[in-house]
Amino acid sequence: MVPDAGSSFVDRLRELRQTRFGAFVPVLLALAAIWSYFGLAVPFWEYLSDPDADSIRFIFLSPRNIYNLFMQSAVIATLAVGITIVLLLGDIDLSAAATAGVCAALLGVLVLAGVPGWMACLIVMAVGIVMGAAQGLLVAYVGIPSFVVTLAGLLGYQGLMQKILPTGNLNVGDPFVRSIARVLIPDSWGLALAAALVVFVAVMSLRRQARRRERGLELDTNLAIWGQVAFFAVLVFAAVITMNSYRSVPLMIFLLVAATAAVGWVTTSTPFGRSIFAVGGNAESARRVGLNVRRVRVAAFGIVGLMAAIGGIFGASRFGSVSYTAFAGGSLLLESIGAAVIGGTSLFGGRGSVWNAILGALVIGSLGNGLDLSGASAADKLMFSGAILLLAVAIDAISRPTGGTAR
Amino acid sequence: MQPTVTDENNSVGHSVPPSHLRVSGVHKRFGGVHALRGVDFEVARGEVMALVGDNGAGKSTLMKVLAGAHAADEGEFWMDDSPVAIGSPHDAAALGIQIVYQDLALCENLDVSANLSLGAEPVKHGWGFLPRILRPIDDLEMEVKAQEAINRLEVRTLKSVRAKVEGLSGGQRQAIAIARAVGAESSVVLLDEPTAALGVAQTRQVLDVVNRLRGTNHAVVYISHNLRDVFKVADRICVLRHGGNVATFNAADTTPDEIVVAITRGLDEGAGNGA
Repeated sequence: MVPDAGSSFVDRLRELRQTRFGAFVPVLLALAAIWSYFGLAVPFWEYLSDPDADSIRFIFLSPRNIYNLFMQSAVIATLAVGITIVLLLGDIDLSAAATAGVCAALLGVLVLAGVPGWMACLIVMAVGIVMGAAQGLLVAYVGIPSFVVTLAGLLGYQGLMQKILPTGNLNVGDPFVRSIARVLIPDSWGLALAAALVVFVAVMSLRRQARRRERGLELDTNLAIWGQVAFFAVLVFAAVITMNSYRSVPLMIFLLVAATAAVGWVTTSTPFGRSIFAVGGNAESARRVGLNVRRVRVAAFGIVGLMAAIGGIFGASRFGSVSYTAFAGGSLLLESIGAAVIGGTSLFGGRGSVWNAILGALVIGSLGNGLDLSGASAADKLMFSGAILLLAVAIDAISRPTGGTAR
Repeated sequence: MQPTVTDENNSVGHSVPPSHLRVSGVHKRFGGVHALRGVDFEVARGEVMALVGDNGAGKSTLMKVLAGAHAADEGEFWMDDSPVAIGSPHDAAALGIQIVYQDLALCENLDVSANLSLGAEPVKHGWGFLPRILRPIDDLEMEVKAQEAINRLEVRTLKSVRAKVEGLSGGQRQAIAIARAVGAESSVVLLDEPTAALGVAQTRQVLDVVNRLRGTNHAVVYISHNLRDVFKVADRICVLRHGGNVATFNAADTTPDEIVVAITRGLDEGAGNGA
């Protein structure tokens, strides 16, 4: 059984996707490709074709642009993290952006009415959970496909947002809400935090390895452990140092990472998260072992609602205003679903990770940012985004195991 | 084709082992179809009872009644001689009856250890303030348990309990599905066509696992169309036809030909009835 070159490539892709960090590789490659194109190739091309230029200007890769890129991608990433959860179930949520819009509008109205900022944030987070879970109830207990329920939700919530904001625009000046995007974590704290995180990860890996040895379980290779720690360290420090060299790490990015870490921990390390993967992998199996599949569905949609509300708060904080086009009416929904899928989360359920959603959001954000910088039109941007999304889904479909029949 | 009966159950008729699960007079109707017409059935601990019959003979229906997936219209059930009721899969599970369906129902995207403890993951201590479903999984404990279950069934070809199920062979999957059924505090394991889709080596592996279940003192019910496999593992063979009993044979005292006749034509009165 000698596989020919084509199938061995696909097999290798499949094996790659099954390793723990292997799932990151395609999206990181995509990110590297986009960054090197906009960051290196485009400036060189401009330098060579323009006789008047006296030096190469690396605008895209400048710390200032990367900083903006992170901020621009933060709202998309927040929504994508939530959407990843329902994609893991094999469902989809088309209403996330509209939910975020309703929550942001509600936040604006509440702080305008004199409700303290922190309380308004808690209220809209609760509202987001209810909005998501309500759709989850329809999917799980009435049995309507999630596509239809959330399509109805998309329309309904868009209308609701227009009801809350008849003018379509509202400024949010509340200092608490604004501070989320404005407060910067001091440079030294950012570095200390990064160092603490890396040490934490390293210590946990080593402790785990020691426990495995104690209990006679198979051990990870040292290369794998230190490779993971080094990979993590490079990512964290690169991000922190880049942001420090323009301003500092914004509180919003920190909150995004913290929320993602919490959701990621729940999905990978708790019985609830395991049941999400089980339902996405084989709902019948999950039902037979006694998992309450319906409740898992409702909870997952509740999490999307929560993340959408947080995305709404982030957006309101960053723009200092709430507008219909920035949330419900704009491209936010498709960008965040695209981010989750580009991150490698399967539309077929059971495969994916919330961390990949953040990288996927960076891919989408970089593409938009890079095309803006090189003066591309909105039409070009749409077509490029479509092509990237198609590529990501194609990679998902190809690297997806075909099931028991193949072996 | 050697019958593999090993212990003292060789005698016919009146000295059969004491039954662990016993049903009698089971009727099941689906609309106008009378699928089970007063079936009697029993299985003892440490015994592999094969359930054979042609398509539509009522094997799978009986299996589903035992597993609680279908509720019987009539019939009495005993576990160790005390009457019980099996009205739902939950009842069956509470009595220690586990079924391995033909489609196995494993989560292919999860690894072996996660599949084995799905729905009952061990959690770490010291997180009592969280609801159980949000406490961290003790995945090392989970792997230890999985490894024990795999070792008990001696699934030698399985390299790692951290392997994803989607990468495993059909025989390995079947073994894992069986291990999951056995792990759940069960005393009766119902196997529905466990070797139907498997090649020779894989079948061998699954039959080894079934043999091991006898050693762990489980009561095993084994449905199959393949008489060669049946004769390799079964202690007794219960033949159904048209929703009723034909006879129960001791595997050591009968031949595949006799079973085929019983399956296809029924039986003249009183020939070699083992129960």
